[in-house]
Amino acid sequence: MTARSILRVALVIFIVLMVQQTVIVALRIDGAHPDLLWLLPITAALLDGPETGAIVGFWAGLSFDLVLPTPFGLSALVGCLLGYAVGSLTAAVDPRATWLKPVAALAGSVAADMLFAVLGAILGQQQMVEINFVSLVLVVGIASVVFVLPVSRLMRWALVGESNRRSLVSAQADSRLW
Amino acid sequence: MPRSRRSRRTLTVVILVVVSLSLISLDLNGRTHSLTSGIKSVANDVYAPLRQGVLDIISPIGNFFAGAFDYGSVQSQNEQLEKTLGQLRASQAEQGFEENQLRELTKLQNLPFLNSLPTVTAQTVDENSSNFTATITLDKGRADGVDVGYPVVGAGGLVGQVIQSFHHTCVVQLVTDGQSKVGVTFGATNQYTGIVDGQGPGNSMTADLVLPHTPLHKGEVMYTSGLQAASYPAGIPVATVQSFHTASGASQETIKVDAAANLSQLAYVDVVQWAPSTT
Repeated sequence: MTARSILRVALVIFIVLMVQQTVIVALRIDGAHPDLLWLLPITAALLDGPETGAIVGFWAGLSFDLVLPTPFGLSALVGCLLGYAVGSLTAAVDPRATWLKPVAALAGSVAADMLFAVLGAILGQQQMVEINFVSLVLVVGIASVVFVLPVSRLMRWALVGESNRRSLVSAQADSRLW
Repeated sequence: MPRSRRSRRTLTVVILVVVSLSLISLDLNGRTHSLTSGIKSVANDVYAPLRQGVLDIISPIGNFFAGAFDYGSVQSQNEQLEKTLGQLRASQAEQGFEENQLRELTKLQNLPFLNSLPTVTAQTVDENSSNFTATITLDKGRADGVDVGYPVVGAGGLVGQVIQSFHHTCVVQLVTDGQSKVGVTFGATNQYTGIVDGQGPGNSMTADLVLPHTPLHKGEVMYTSGLQAASYPAGIPVATVQSFHTASGASQETIKVDAAANLSQLAYVDVVQWAPSTT
């Protein structure tokens, strides 16, 4: 990643963090609110591959860890694994496929929340698996599908100029949607 | 894909995973927790004003739409609040005498009475920032005399306990959080004891370690016990009994309870400057 991309990604992480903690956190349905954090590594991985996905996931998770009451480093770990997994699993998929972003956002966000809860419980935070998972999966999953396009657009702006072919192809596909 | 690139990619991910695991270990280890807590504290000092600034900008817009679409219910809620306030003023005047008596009695028993303890009034600036914990963030921190372990009361009872304290903000674990356990007493002369267990956000709490066939009634109030080494001072309403039964052969009564405090109305709360005894 270039210095310009690093700065832009940091800005995107900050914007998403602020939107999450001021607006999104209030959109609570049956005790659960959408989680934009996971969309950062998912979109980065779709645009620029697993390595960028893992790096963005780590730093995004670490930023959120600073303001969340959950164990410090847990979001960074899950974000990193999520970015790597999404990048690796979609490597062979045509990036122009219109279903790719919504499906990756839905499956990735739900899987990340499950992993986050299970790892938290393993680390002694038993209450993290004592929540209403039905509403969590529904709210996080549906919201991720809705918000993946604006977050993807921000991430594409941040990663513009990166050498990976996927970002260029995806940018054209996105511009048709917007 | 070139082999060297794949190796570099794997190495990057392995390093990030190891760093993440190291940070988690530092945070969960009692001796090094202060390091991660310090980092979080500095970050919160920077983040809290920025977040408040954003809220100051967007809140009037949100309030405008909320007011326009919800004017009727706001008006009826206001009338209801005025009515409740009047009732509370009347009952406060009546309770003065009983409070004095109770203060004298608890003093004799060497138990701290809530009204005799100093409090810091704080505003809730954030609720349930994570989907996995029941917490609120207050606008008071160490600089205002708020420390980890202090009980938080408001809206009719015990709200929770401070679990993280930063310079100007703190995080409170609500009584409904799955990690919350509060020692309680109940009964006509507070002769029965138990533990109120949080079951996670949105779930009913339970009262555990209550002997089978203990006399109970729906709506009975359970208070903090204040027994030796308790995490809370005595006499704070914690929960009201919602339902109870004794299963055959069970070693304890199955009791579901609701929080005594109205946890949906936590705009302002009081932090009680009372630290649990360490002896």
